[in-house]
Amino acid sequence: MPPARDAQVRLDVPPPAFRLAHLPVYVALTFGAVVSATPFAYMLSTSLMNLGETINRQLLPDVPQWGNYVEAWSNASFDLYMRNSIILSVVTILGVLFTSTLAGYAFARIRFPGRNVIFAILLSTLMIPGTVTFIPQFLLVRGDIVPWGNWLDTLPALTIPFFSTAFIIFLFRQFFAEIPDELWDAARLDGAGHLRFLVQVVVPMSRPVLTTGALLTFVNTWNEFLWPLLITYTPTWRPLGVGLYTFITEAGPETHLLMAGSVITIVPVLIIYFFTQKQFTEGIATSGLKG
Amino acid sequence: MRWRGEWITAYAMIFPATALIAIFGLFPIGYAIYMSLYRWRIRQGGFVGLDNYETVLGDWGGAAAFFGGLLLILVAHHLWTRAFRAHAGWRRYGPLVGALTLASAGIAISLGWSRMVEAGEARFLGGLIRTTYYGFLSVPIQIVLALILASLLFQRLRGSETFRMLFFLPYVTPAVAGAAVYAALFSPRPERPINTLLGWFGIPPQDWLFETDPVLELLANGVLARIARLAGTEPIEVALSGFWAGPSLALVTIIVFGIWTYTGYNAVIFLAGLANIPRDLYEAAEIDGANGRQRFLHVTIPMLSPVTFYLTVLGFIGTFQAFTHLYVMRVPATRDAVDTASVVIFDTFYKRNDFSLAAAQSIVLFVIILILTLFNQRVLGGRGAR
Repeated sequence: MPPARDAQVRLDVPPPAFRLAHLPVYVALTFGAVVSATPFAYMLSTSLMNLGETINRQLLPDVPQWGNYVEAWSNASFDLYMRNSIILSVVTILGVLFTSTLAGYAFARIRFPGRNVIFAILLSTLMIPGTVTFIPQFLLVRGDIVPWGNWLDTLPALTIPFFSTAFIIFLFRQFFAEIPDELWDAARLDGAGHLRFLVQVVVPMSRPVLTTGALLTFVNTWNEFLWPLLITYTPTWRPLGVGLYTFITEAGPETHLLMAGSVITIVPVLIIYFFTQKQFTEGIATSGLKG
Repeated sequence: MRWRGEWITAYAMIFPATALIAIFGLFPIGYAIYMSLYRWRIRQGGFVGLDNYETVLGDWGGAAAFFGGLLLILVAHHLWTRAFRAHAGWRRYGPLVGALTLASAGIAISLGWSRMVEAGEARFLGGLIRTTYYGFLSVPIQIVLALILASLLFQRLRGSETFRMLFFLPYVTPAVAGAAVYAALFSPRPERPINTLLGWFGIPPQDWLFETDPVLELLANGVLARIARLAGTEPIEVALSGFWAGPSLALVTIIVFGIWTYTGYNAVIFLAGLANIPRDLYEAAEIDGANGRQRFLHVTIPMLSPVTFYLTVLGFIGTFQAFTHLYVMRVPATRDAVDTASVVIFDTFYKRNDFSLAAAQSIVLFVIILILTLFNQRVLGGRGAR
C-alpha cells in the first residue's frame, strides 16, 4: 500500500483555473491562513517597533528598529543558546539516523525470531506520555540508578535519551520494505552482506526518507523544552527555547525585545521549513496514514 | 524458523535503538511505579506502600468508584452496540441496558470524584479536571476544523500549496516563542490586538491569561449587563462554580493556542487520507444518486475513520501530557485556574522536590490516558473495522 505516491500523483495534476464557484472556498481558506499567520506578522512587526509604538495600536513601525535584535541578542546570551541548539540538533540527528537506519533495515528486511513482538513493543512506547518518564530519566542521568556518574547539564544528557524514537524507525521501516528484493539478490551474488547492502545500496536510495527523518528530529530537538529546562542549570548547554524562557521570566523584557527574541528562536526553523516543506508535510502525512 | 546466521546481524542492528528505548522509554515506567511506593524527596527514603497514592487520590472507595465508573462506560458502549446482537428477541434491550449502565457509570464517577476531592490532593485533582477540559475541548475542535480545511484544500485550487504551507506553520514553531507571541496578542491591556478586535464589536477588554473566572460566567454576565443597559436597570451578576461552570478564560486562551498549533498538522494528515480514498467509491455513490452532502457523510467520513481514530488517540495523548505552552503562558496569579495535571506533576517534582509524590501523580495520569486510549479504540476503532 503506497499512499504517499497516490497522493503525489493527484497533487501533480495542474489545478483548474479560477472560477466564481471557488470564491467561498477561497474566502474560508484565506480566513484560516490569516488566523495561522497573524501571530507571525504581529511578532515580526512588533519586534521592529520602539517602546512607544508597541503601546500605540500601531500596525507597523514608522522606522524599523533593527537595533532591537542587537539589544535582545546581547541582553540574553542568544549567541550561546543558538550555538547550543545547533549542536544539540546536529548530534541528535546523527544519533537518530544511525540507530533508526540500522533498526529500520533489520525490521524491514530480515526475518528473525521475535521481530514482530519487539517491533510492537517499540511502537507501544509512542503511547507513553513524557510526563511519566521524565522523573526516572532524571534519576538515570544523575547516576542514581546506574552507576555511570552524574551527567546532568552535559551534552550527552541532552541528546542520548532522544537518539531513538519508534516513530522514525517506523518511518524508515516502511520505506526500506518497499525496496525491490532483486537488488538484495544481486548484492548477495556479489558477496555483500546486510551491512554492506545497507550502506552501499539502501542508504543512497533512501535519501528522501532520511531527510524527512532528519527534519522531524530537527524540529523536535529545537522545540524540546521540558527536558532541557529540567537538566540545564547553567547556560553552558542551554538551548534557545529554555534561553528564551529564562529571558522572559528573569529579565521581564519589554514587548518589542521579547518579540525580537522570539523571532531569533523561530527563524532557523522557519528557514529550514520553507526550503523543505514538501518533505516535511509528506513525511508526516505518510507516517500518519500508516500509523 | 531454522536458525540462521543473519539473525545475529539483525539483533546487532536493532540493538542500539532497542536498548535506548528500553532504557529511556520502557524502564522509566516500571521505575516510576517503584518510586511511587517509597518516600523519595531528592534521595530515596523508606518504603511507604500506597501512601503516596492515598495522598493523591484521597479516598480509596471514592477512587474505586471513579475508576470503576470510567471502565463501566466501556461496558455500556459494548452493551449498547454488541452484546445482545446475537439473540433477535433480546436485541432491543441492548440500548436500554447500555443506557442504564451508562447512567450508573456517571453516578459512580461523580460520587467517587466528590469523595476523592474532599480528602485528596486538591492541586493535582484540580489539574486533572483542567486536563479534561483541555483535552475534550481542543481535540474535537481541532479535528473538525482540520477536516474542513483538508476538504477545502483537497479541491485542488490554485494556491492550495501555499495555503497548506501556511496552515502547517504553527506546528513547526517552537512552542516557547509561539506562546510568548500569544501572550502578547492576548495581553489584558486594552490597546493590544485581541482586545482592540473585541472593541470593534463593542465588547469590553478582557483579562485573558489573567482571568480566573469561568468563561461561561463571563459570557452570562456580559449578556446580563447588556440587557440591564437596554432596560436601564442595575445589572445582575451571576457566579458559577464547579465542574459544569467550565474552564477559566485563562485556560480557554491556552486552549485556543493548542488548537492553533495542531489544526494544520491534523489537516495535512487528513489531506493524505482524502487522497487515499479510491475515486470509484465516489463514482459509484454518484451513480446511486448520492448528492455532495451524502457522499461526504457516507463515503468520506467512513473511509477517513482510521485517520480520525489515529488523530484522536494522538490528540488525547498529546493534550493530556501538554506542557510547554501551558508552562510558559501561566502567571502566578492563575495557577489554580490553568495548571493541568502535567504542569502540577512537573511542579511537584521540580519545585517541591517530592519525587515519589510526582511519580504517583504521573502513574495516575498514565492510567487515565490508557483508559482513554482503550475507550477511543472501542468507540472509534470499532467503527472503522465494521
